[in-house]
Amino acid sequence: MNFSDPSNMFEWIVYIANEYKYMFLEGLWITLYIAVIGTLVGFIVGYLVGMVQDIKINKQDNLIKRILMRTLKIICLVYVEIFRGTPMIVQGMIVYYGLLQANVKISPIFAGILVTVLNTGAYMAETVRGGINSVDKGQKEGAWSLGMSPMLTMFRVVLPQAFKNVVPEMVNTFLTNLKMTSVLNVIGVSELFLVAKTAGGTYYKYFESYLVIAVIYFVLCFVLNRLFLLLEKKLAKKKDYVLAVEYMKESA
Amino acid sequence: MSEKTAKKVIAIENLSKSFGDHQVLRKIDFAVEKGEVICIVGSSGSGKSTLLRCINKLEQQTDGKIYFNGKEVADRQKEINEYRSKVGMVFQSFNLFENMTVLKNCMIAVTSVLHESKQEAFERAIKHLKAVGMAPYINAYPSQLSGGQKQRVAIARALCMNPEVLLFDEPTSALDPEMVGGVLNVMKDLAHTGLTMIIVTHEMAFARDVSTRTIFMDRGYIVEDAPPKELFYNPKNPRTREFLSRFLNDQKNKAETEAVANG
Ligand SMILES: Nc1ncnc2c1ncn2[C@@H]1O[C@H](COP(=O)(O)OP(=O)(O)OP(=O)(O)O)[C@@H](O)[C@H]1O
Ligand SMILES: [Mg+2]
Repeated sequence: MNFSDPSNMFEWIVYIANEYKYMFLEGLWITLYIAVIGTLVGFIVGYLVGMVQDIKINKQDNLIKRILMRTLKIICLVYVEIFRGTPMIVQGMIVYYGLLQANVKISPIFAGILVTVLNTGAYMAETVRGGINSVDKGQKEGAWSLGMSPMLTMFRVVLPQAFKNVVPEMVNTFLTNLKMTSVLNVIGVSELFLVAKTAGGTYYKYFESYLVIAVIYFVLCFVLNRLFLLLEKKLAKKKDYVLAVEYMKESA
Repeated sequence: MSEKTAKKVIAIENLSKSFGDHQVLRKIDFAVEKGEVICIVGSSGSGKSTLLRCINKLEQQTDGKIYFNGKEVADRQKEINEYRSKVGMVFQSFNLFENMTVLKNCMIAVTSVLHESKQEAFERAIKHLKAVGMAPYINAYPSQLSGGQKQRVAIARALCMNPEVLLFDEPTSALDPEMVGGVLNVMKDLAHTGLTMIIVTHEMAFARDVSTRTIFMDRGYIVEDAPPKELFYNPKNPRTREFLSRFLNDQKNKAETEAVANG
């Protein structure tokens, strides 16, 4: 086989992968960078929005607090609906070019992260809200009956339990984001997809070039997915408790 | 507020509660003195749980007032939290925090609500868990316990707050029959310590033997409110009589069978 003067499909794949290895690596790095940061910050946004949506407005609260809460809830609702109801590729365009037109200077990567955050936040908000709702109402009432505030109840009792239900979806979201960053090529983020497009364009070997990144995406998702599954299993395993023998005698 | 209300731990005046068009509590009036053990009995749907939940502000009453130590319980969240920290509640479904061990369940509110030290919270937890016989299980999670064990932990958790009043909503109704006795014994012991308790229960014998006053509720009204001996053996109201007849018949049959067996 002659990899320096490729003549068939297989040789071309190896040739392109080798020729552009640093660009592919850099693209991979940017893909991971955007996906990780975008997902993590997106989770925070999702948790905040999900929690806001769970807050019940008290009739006893004063008017200003009620109006503020209402407004906040409406903003959250509109945000979630808009970002769930439009394609990420369009969101990318609008955020990037919108900010450009408004004379806000941001790099494509930053715009990419911003879009990923907003997109993830909207989906996570719904997931978190579902997770919160899945926690038995008695858990809250148990906490309230001890004088715990709604906030304390949320952070110490409800969220830790909701979190367990939300983890699989968080993993899923991260893997989705890893793949969805590919749409950010439209605003010129040089992630994996754009690298493949560039490399393929140089030699008119698009098929071979995209095959390279398909393999990269696949291996990445496959390995990460297995890893997370393993982690989940480990976390789910409840250890048997140890009887506190030092208190055995005193109590019947 | 009347002169009388001022001296009571909990006083309820003219309390009504509706869910939509459905009126569940109708002009409830009663007061609880320090050290009283009040049992509330009545048929299903008569509003017993709703009354207890109103007392603990888990439900907002439609009308009427609740006084705690002579002071009206305000609707501000902060004051409600403080009030709840002094008026504990034990639920039919336990409501232990699933994400915490038995020990943590008992400590969390002592540290985070009462702002006591970890050491103090730990000591209180051990003390009350010992009293209910659950101290060896401090490392267990609620899902690893039986219903009776859970309920005893729930009682210990409530006691760790040093409450002035403890409310019980059918604490033994979700338990297997063989678990009921243990929990009732714990409650009996508590009654003897002088803790003020309001207990909704279907355990008639317990109400008769342990309560200082028994209240019979029907369709949202307090129909009768009397010392247990009076309410059980000389009920004034026909509805009370009807409700109790089954329990009294059971008792009579039991006595007769025993008499036959012995004779
Ligand atoms: N959140 C609610 N929304 C609407 N109706 C309710 C609600 N909670 C209770 N009710 C109604 O109020 C009535 C009284 O209920 P409650 O639970 O207080 O009865 P109870 O005396 O505790 O009965 P049980 O012995 O079965 O526990 C019932 O008819 C019930 O359907
Ligand atoms: Mg009930």
